[in-house]
Amino acid sequence: MTGSVTVRRQKVRRPRRRYKLACLLMLAAALLLALLFIERLCPYDPNAQVFAALEPPSAAHPAGTDRLGRDLLSRILIGLRTSVLSSLALVVVTAAAGSAAGVLSGYFGGLADSLLMRIADVCLAFPGLVLGLAVAALLGGGLHNAMLALAVVSWPKYARVARSQTLALLRTDHMAAARLAGGSAPQLILRHILPNCAGPLLVTAMLDIGAMMMELAGLSFLGLGAMPPTAELGSMMSGGRSLLQLYPWVVIGPGIAIFAAVAFFNLLGDAARDWLDPQNSGGK
Amino acid sequence: MRQIKICIRMLAAACLALCLLAGCGARMKAGAEESAGDVFVFGDTTFNAENEEPDIDPHNAYSGWACIRYGVGETLFRYTDTMEIEPWLAADWEQADALTWRITLRDNITFSTGRPLDGQAVKDCLTHLIRTHDRARNDLQIDAITAEGQTVTIVTQEPRPALLHYLSDPYSCIIDMQEGVSEEGIVSGTGPYIAQTLVTNERLELVRNEAYWDGTPGFDRVTVLSITDGDTLTMALQSGEIDAAYGLPYTSYPLFQNDEYVLASAATSRTFFLHMNFQSPVMQDPAVRQAVAMGIDKERFAGELLDGNGEAASGPFPAGFALGGDAVSAKAYNPDGAARVLEAAGWVDRDGDGIREKDGRRLTVRWLTYPSRQELPLLAEAAQYTLGEIGFEVIVNATADHNSIRTDSSAWDVYASAMVTAPTGDPAYFFATHCLDGAVANNGHYHSDALEALAAELSVTFDTARRAQLAARMQQIILDDDAFVFCAHLRMTMVCRSDVTGLTAHPCDFYEITAALRPAK
Repeated sequence: MTGSVTVRRQKVRRPRRRYKLACLLMLAAALLLALLFIERLCPYDPNAQVFAALEPPSAAHPAGTDRLGRDLLSRILIGLRTSVLSSLALVVVTAAAGSAAGVLSGYFGGLADSLLMRIADVCLAFPGLVLGLAVAALLGGGLHNAMLALAVVSWPKYARVARSQTLALLRTDHMAAARLAGGSAPQLILRHILPNCAGPLLVTAMLDIGAMMMELAGLSFLGLGAMPPTAELGSMMSGGRSLLQLYPWVVIGPGIAIFAAVAFFNLLGDAARDWLDPQNSGGK
Repeated sequence: MRQIKICIRMLAAACLALCLLAGCGARMKAGAEESAGDVFVFGDTTFNAENEEPDIDPHNAYSGWACIRYGVGETLFRYTDTMEIEPWLAADWEQADALTWRITLRDNITFSTGRPLDGQAVKDCLTHLIRTHDRARNDLQIDAITAEGQTVTIVTQEPRPALLHYLSDPYSCIIDMQEGVSEEGIVSGTGPYIAQTLVTNERLELVRNEAYWDGTPGFDRVTVLSITDGDTLTMALQSGEIDAAYGLPYTSYPLFQNDEYVLASAATSRTFFLHMNFQSPVMQDPAVRQAVAMGIDKERFAGELLDGNGEAASGPFPAGFALGGDAVSAKAYNPDGAARVLEAAGWVDRDGDGIREKDGRRLTVRWLTYPSRQELPLLAEAAQYTLGEIGFEVIVNATADHNSIRTDSSAWDVYASAMVTAPTGDPAYFFATHCLDGAVANNGHYHSDALEALAAELSVTFDTARRAQLAARMQQIILDDDAFVFCAHLRMTMVCRSDVTGLTAHPCDFYEITAALRPAK
């Protein structure tokens, strides 16, 4: 009973998955919209150092104040925007660059394919965060440099997926037919390959958002990400770690925010995978 | 079968928990035995190469601080609690003329090697010091040293009114040069403890000097651990891994304000201050320097952000020192005034982005500082906000690599550091090391003809009242030029377990591990 899925259960599950994904997408859209106008939700200027330092949560400051006397709720909200939008931008750029590399590599093959895949092999040979740390240290601190560092180490997985999909598609009958019909390389790639690769790449990208958020926060925690006074959840946690025993709210607020954001985007990624990945449709 | 599996899993979990508890228990017990016995473990954030204290050789950079702090070396003279000079290894002294000083040494003092301390030993040590240590050579200006029995005669190249102060500086620790300096940087002194092993940036192991001349040291062994991270230091003290700590973050102090610990504090001349880079185009504008001086809220930094563990500074010396506090007048925090100064100088925000511009150049200040003094990044962020409010863009670079960056004048505009401005108790030290032409820490290449002239006069003036006058005028010159901005003086605090006595904080910040340190029993 445990290993089998009845037709009836499959039928019940697909609409449920659709609703789940739709709900999560609506929530994500609402979240993004809110983040774009987050300043209006902030009770105070997130950089204003005008309050007493290390005040515990109160009606005036629901998340307390930090070591410099800044309102933590305002900084958490702005930090959330920094983390989410940076992660989304990073994933979009990385996925686009990696996918392009993978598709071109798979389609044309030859020397370009070998070269790109060997570079990808080198990137994959190192633990991602360690290589990211090295690149970020080389580039210097700053959020943009941290994003660049993560982009450098993250593109190979998209390239691998795109290349394998492309190679599989090239062997299909409809691709052969498209070629016989006189389709040029750009036409074949844009009309036939990319649309058929989109599903797996989208699933990979959506599952990657939470991971990217964690890695960006990790680099900021280590001092290689956002620079002061930029509010970013990782750097806020890093700045507050020495205060954990006596002033825990300085770390707990940003910690909860990053946990919630990462959990939400992981759920969204899972839902997208359940919906888009046909191989997973009969899963548990 | 399933129940058996569950039982096995629970048993494994219980064993694991038991092992963890046993491990913790053993560690705590070991710590308890150490503190109750005769081993003292001291954690220090500043004993490391980054802080120019890679070893305990007083003739190397600032390692003399480690030599004297950890009870290995002693100087001919030392400071009292009120920062007056008193003989230490010396028994007496006299000044024969403006250039000649005759110092008589105490009898019956031996180095840890067994060699008696006599005039020749002191001569060997000081000769080596001035040959190898630039700062000492500039300070002492020794022309000749002669030794005869227990007497040392020092002749200076020019009158040195502060010679005895310089002979109290940690670099003047008297060490046995016949024994020399080991590869690790270990030396033999006359102090209550003898260094046995040293690993730079890691640890120093000391044993009791059984032949110590001034009492019996209280511990058989002392271990000094280099722990650069303040949080790690805090947790090491909490867990019992160390018995006392220097350099704890002030936010940790409440954790130790109970019967298990004792906090020893002293107002010192450790000062958080800014060096303006006179080779930076933007800082060459007097209006910009003035605006920076008026744009830093020192009172809030000292009172609110340091939580009262410091006091707002006017000049280089704190209120407790002669010439400190109100002896000089500094620019008060006045953001509106600073904005007017900038406006008058042509710095105006034309594009409405909040940053002022002049001749197409944005008012950007690159703020260099370092994290090993944990309050410095805090000062940087506080200044970033207050200066930002008046139209500056402040880019903070808080890096452990500051010592190499600050030598490159093109890489920074403002350098924030925390230095002891009067370790010798004499005001000349600060000017000689930070403000004058060729001074080793004149990072901003500041120059003032008036200051140079007064410094020349100060260096040959013995009259105390006149020295005070000169030093006050010199302070005012650097403040009026906005060459330096003095933000706060920090209270130095050490935290020690209450079952240990004798660890006291001293205003000069030199004396920590002494013969008086012992178990409370």
